[in-house]
Amino acid sequence: METPTALQNVLYMPRTFATTESNKTGAWRFLRPRYEEKTSPCGAACPAGEDIARIEMLITQGAFKEAWETILMENPLPGVCGRVCYHPCEGRCNRREFDAAVAIHSLERFLADAAARNETKPALPRQPAAGRRIAIIGAGPAGLSAAWFLNILGYETDIFEAMPAAGGMTRWGIPAYRLPEAALSAEIARIEAQGVRIHTGETVTAARFEEMRKSYDALFLGCGHWRGLSLDIPGATGVGVEEGLSFLRDIRGGVRRDIPGVSAVIGGGNTAIDVARTIIRRGGRAIIVYRRRREDMPAFAEETRSAQEEGVELRELLAPVRIDAAAGGCVLTLQPMTVVGQDQDGRGKIVPAAAAPVRIAAQRVFTAAGAGTAAPWHEPPASGASGAVLALSHCVLLQDDRGAPVVYGGDLAARDKNVTQAIASGKQAALALDVLFRHGVGSVRERLASCVVGHGPALSLEIYLGGPRRERNAHIVTYEEINADYFQYEPRLVQPRLLIEERHSSFDEIELKISAHTAMREAGRCFHCGICNNCDNCYLFCPDVAILRARDMTDRHIDYDYCKGCGLCVVECPRNAMTLEEETP
Amino acid sequence: MQLEAMDRELMCSGHVGCPGCGATIAMRFALKTLGEKTIMVLPACCWSVIAGPFPQSSLKIPVIHTAFETGGATASGVRAALDMRGDEETTVVVWAGDGGTFDIGFQALSGAVERNENFIYICYDNEAYMNTGIQRSSSTPYGAWTTTTSGSDWKKLRKKNIVEALVAHRIPYAATANIAYPEDLVRKVRKARETKGSRFLHIYASCPTGWRIPAEMSVRIARMAVQTNIFPLYEVENGIDYTINVKPREYLVREYFKLQGRFRHLSEEDLDQIQGMVNEDWERLLRKAGERA
Ligand SMILES: Cc1ncc(C[n+]2csc(CCOP(=O)(O)OP(=O)(O)O)c2C)c(N)n1
Ligand code: SF4
Ligand SMILES: [Mg+2]
Repeated sequence: METPTALQNVLYMPRTFATTESNKTGAWRFLRPRYEEKTSPCGAACPAGEDIARIEMLITQGAFKEAWETILMENPLPGVCGRVCYHPCEGRCNRREFDAAVAIHSLERFLADAAARNETKPALPRQPAAGRRIAIIGAGPAGLSAAWFLNILGYETDIFEAMPAAGGMTRWGIPAYRLPEAALSAEIARIEAQGVRIHTGETVTAARFEEMRKSYDALFLGCGHWRGLSLDIPGATGVGVEEGLSFLRDIRGGVRRDIPGVSAVIGGGNTAIDVARTIIRRGGRAIIVYRRRREDMPAFAEETRSAQEEGVELRELLAPVRIDAAAGGCVLTLQPMTVVGQDQDGRGKIVPAAAAPVRIAAQRVFTAAGAGTAAPWHEPPASGASGAVLALSHCVLLQDDRGAPVVYGGDLAARDKNVTQAIASGKQAALALDVLFRHGVGSVRERLASCVVGHGPALSLEIYLGGPRRERNAHIVTYEEINADYFQYEPRLVQPRLLIEERHSSFDEIELKISAHTAMREAGRCFHCGICNNCDNCYLFCPDVAILRARDMTDRHIDYDYCKGCGLCVVECPRNAMTLEEETP
Repeated sequence: MQLEAMDRELMCSGHVGCPGCGATIAMRFALKTLGEKTIMVLPACCWSVIAGPFPQSSLKIPVIHTAFETGGATASGVRAALDMRGDEETTVVVWAGDGGTFDIGFQALSGAVERNENFIYICYDNEAYMNTGIQRSSSTPYGAWTTTTSGSDWKKLRKKNIVEALVAHRIPYAATANIAYPEDLVRKVRKARETKGSRFLHIYASCPTGWRIPAEMSVRIARMAVQTNIFPLYEVENGIDYTINVKPREYLVREYFKLQGRFRHLSEEDLDQIQGMVNEDWERLLRKAGERA
């Protein structure tokens, strides 16, 4: 029998003609993943609140200018901080638990140097003019920082500086081998280019200050602790005894040159170390005497190590008793101390040991026993003084009937006195004043609390201005929350440094430049804790094709019509930028 | 991770695979690489269901559903038909479970590759008959619980080494792959597509339901299988040239076992014994790859 032709051409096979997309499998879900960025431990540890995870991510992408601008949103002095900050960020880096911390400070410095070399102009979002003028007394890191942030917030700023050049302690107190003049000046020039006016050689007296309270809308007092405190022992003000801070200032000012022979330096802070290392570079020998143990020294450990490398002698557990003039210099008498238990602050508690006094003959003795305000009116008012006093973590705000509000900041108000804390203080002052003008003094605390990084105390301008960082959860990402399977062991960069011999005769910077290639590789070690770097793992591993991406691949959404809530994306996110929660019915 | 072609999507949402199913991840990666000019032969397995009930399909390529034991034979026929029509461009791919490959489909597979039929055979391995309720297969590993190896009768036989069985046929290309290593997987699928003759890929695909693991752990456990040397990633060309593709961190096998409900009953001694087996197999592989004398 013949098969009908029509049938010959028909394929007897059921053929599908619809997709499965009409099944909304999202109804199965009882757990709900979502994108939620979190806070990196480094960023939370940075006193200036820098967005470090993001900065390193941008460096990895070669976006150096954007990375630098991201720093500038939170810190106007990356070239300074990349060199002299004690980088608490690195001490909290999650990568430490994997191999070694990311060299965050080297990368910060790299960005600042690259920007200075290329004369890059930052594009920062300046707020509309606020129509107010602020006077800032002192062009140190606190004053520069206050001016920088006030400028971004739309204020007109005038800085008054007594010294012939701006920089404060960073210029006059920190030796050039740690912070070269050019690096500092480049930063100051950029701050001025942004619109901040700096009037150098203008000392503000108490009388002028009172005048300014009538002519400006607010004042920031950041004139620092300049008066080196003298020791309270016989002979402390005698011949052959010098004060460390003014010595450093004279060296930076080119007033002093050779310091031959043996010098003794009394103290355990950064000033003592800086003085000793400077003496080595000026052809002398330096012996640091400190009444506690080496591990109790307030100086940054790395600085102490470098000092010893360079030949500075360190004698611990020796308390100065008296200084006597002697032929060719002086004799320092010291009481040996011993440790019994612990002080409240965790340092060893010391008492005199049952040992004979020790004598050290030296050509001169430097004291570095801390510093105080240069004039009593620089002291921030205690609460209970006339007017309203608001004591914040890094500033004291005073409002009274004598004129415009005053913020006491920098070393005047900060508990820890160093460059980065001074920058934090300037930022806090700027934000506090902005809140004060917009919402009144009563809102200051609350508004500042809403823009802390993680759990504070560091503040973020980006968060204050309502930028994307505001969306981040304050939760600080732990190492356990990193999916370490996605990272390879990679040694930390080896910071190229001057040879010890080269350091003896020069004030050249010790830490040498790193290349762009090295910087990108080092930034590539960063986990980018808590932030999305577009790795696409969520998209790739989704069994339900439920991750939708924007055309440029930078933005992702979860299609909850289909997401079954397996949670794979959250586990496979290497950096905890996603969260899995119970589905609410 | 930047993978070219990874933007192509030939699988649809709305399929009924379990949450976290590794077999669906494997399919997504494979199809992204294979592209539209692919015909897929699908013997009975979980994927017969995931591919959708008539008239739906979750795959945007032609699929032929076929009997459990016939993957190799059906693919041979599809290839022959395409050749008769002069279509050399379309790739024929069998997509079968471990049951359909190691066990009931082995005869058809062995016959086809002995003839060096020109297709890719991909076995997604979830180490049991999952679609019918977690019965053991010859791919189920030593020590595992399944519904047919339950209680004290957990499986006390080793997993069949399917790649070696295929290598013994001297086929042009045989390789292992794993859903936790997309780059490696994609490269191997591409290489298979560019090779002529019989090609075999053995893809590790975790199964949250059958392994008693949380859905979100499916890729992490898959990665662990490689890092412990339980499932090494390697490829063999022409039945002779071995290359190991991923250098493992060599975690202890306990790290892998302790994450999974199906191994919960194992004692420390059992784990030591399993570690011994894994070490032995790994040494053997290193020798084949010429990395050990
Ligand atoms: C001849 C035959 N016997 C039994 C079955 C029932 N059956 C369908 S799928 C399946 C198990 C498939 O196991 P596997 O190949 O490992 O795929 P999985 O379901 O695990 O993905 C069985 C036994 C069948 N379809 N045909
Ligand atoms: S039983 Fe296993 S393989 Fe099958 S759909 Fe569920 S998770 Fe996937
Ligand atoms: Mg199976």
